[in-house]
Amino acid sequence: MQEKLAEIFMDMFQDNGLSAPDRLDPDLHLRDDLNMDSLMLAELTVRVESEFSVDIFEDGLVETIGDVVKKIEGHQQS
Amino acid sequence: MKDLFLAAGGCHYTYEQLLKDVGSRGKKCSRIFVKGNEPYQIFVSVVHSLWLDYPVELLDGDFSEEELNKMGIQSADLQPSLIDRRSEHPPSYEDVTALLRPKNWTLSLYTSGTTGRPKKVTHRYDALTRQVKTGSRWENQVWGFAYNPTHMAGLQVFFQAFNNKNPMIYAFGEEQKQLPDLIDHYQITHLSATATYYRNIFPRLQSKVYPGVKRVTFGGEGFDERLSEKMKQTFPHAQIRNVYASTEAGSVFAGNGRTFTLSSSIKDLVKINEHQELLIHHSLVGALENAADVGEWLNTGDVVQEIGENQFVFVSRNSDFINVGGYRVNPLEVEAVLTAVPGVEDAVVKGKKNSVTGNLLTAELVKAADAEEDQVKEAVRKHAADTLQPWKVPRMLTFVEEIRKTRTGKKVRE
Repeated sequence: MQEKLAEIFMDMFQDNGLSAPDRLDPDLHLRDDLNMDSLMLAELTVRVESEFSVDIFEDGLVETIGDVVKKIEGHQQS
Repeated sequence: MKDLFLAAGGCHYTYEQLLKDVGSRGKKCSRIFVKGNEPYQIFVSVVHSLWLDYPVELLDGDFSEEELNKMGIQSADLQPSLIDRRSEHPPSYEDVTALLRPKNWTLSLYTSGTTGRPKKVTHRYDALTRQVKTGSRWENQVWGFAYNPTHMAGLQVFFQAFNNKNPMIYAFGEEQKQLPDLIDHYQITHLSATATYYRNIFPRLQSKVYPGVKRVTFGGEGFDERLSEKMKQTFPHAQIRNVYASTEAGSVFAGNGRTFTLSSSIKDLVKINEHQELLIHHSLVGALENAADVGEWLNTGDVVQEIGENQFVFVSRNSDFINVGGYRVNPLEVEAVLTAVPGVEDAVVKGKKNSVTGNLLTAELVKAADAEEDQVKEAVRKHAADTLQPWKVPRMLTFVEEIRKTRTGKKVRE
């Protein structure tokens, strides 16, 4: 799952003409560290949903890469 | 801070400074176009036009040169011109507000037209400030400014604040992240933003309670009931309001939560047709470039449901447009840009639902037989990013063999 998620980030950053983070550190903050604006967050949620069938922003409480991973894991276990 | 007009980007501008800057302008801009939408520059230009009573067009600083050209605006048209009459002294606040029954002043905005080319809508002062309230109840408000200052919702906040000499604390764009600190520092009492804005900032707000905020307004896109419930915990003393406004008609009505109540002053100017679509009387609508567009009633295309006498809720917004984070996008306009790229034979733009911005634009492309997918994709991305405002750029591109059409030949966007 982590690999797939890394691929999503890589594709997204490339497509947006930005350099992707070297590695997906769970503490990386989506807005502060990766400078993702609401359009990029929307894109992330759409791409993750189509890959993992989970709406990570459903309750709005996702701030870090670790939070994204937790949402996907939580969904896979349920 | 005493006499504060605007706090933005770490700078403070008082009303005194604003009026001094307005008074010292030797030129007028009948088209206001500020790259980056720096709010103070925009507001100085608007107040200058009000003071000297001349019409202005307010252009989004995000418009690309191509978009401006399409609207018939060349870069020479954006140059300021010398003014005929220049006052010795800057205006006083009273001068400017006493003049706020301007005779010649109008303000024009551009909105997504049905033809794919932005359409100009011109408003008179009274219509634009229809919902502005003044008086002692409104005098001590501190506004969190959370909209693009060149759009209708931002102008509504500007006029409400300006006419009561209230401070505005800019919390849009880069400064959105600072909102929790700005609320504390400036003791913001009123916030108005899109649901997308609140959703984006909510993780930063939720760990605290802000008892000083008295009103939280949702505008620009559909109301989000679940988010509103959460906001009530963060802003326990705030009244939650919902505003219906459009570039064509300005702010038309406000409601508590989902439900809108038609006041007696407006109820004869609004009606619902047999398809449950909301119609607004032309007297509430700004002058459109092509007046034949309207007739007596403007069909908003928004579908509503009456739930009691003079009360209704929105069922769906105009399906010809896609609302991306509070910005209305005409997919035809975006498709025209995409199909201009060599190697693209056809394109359909769709809104992909998501819980961050409501919709996100995606595009399906039909490429020419001899074109390479990767090259076309790259060219489309670049052309769209260079040509369109950020929220109009499709974020995900896929290739298809053909685009599905309805029996009447319309592209299927579902």
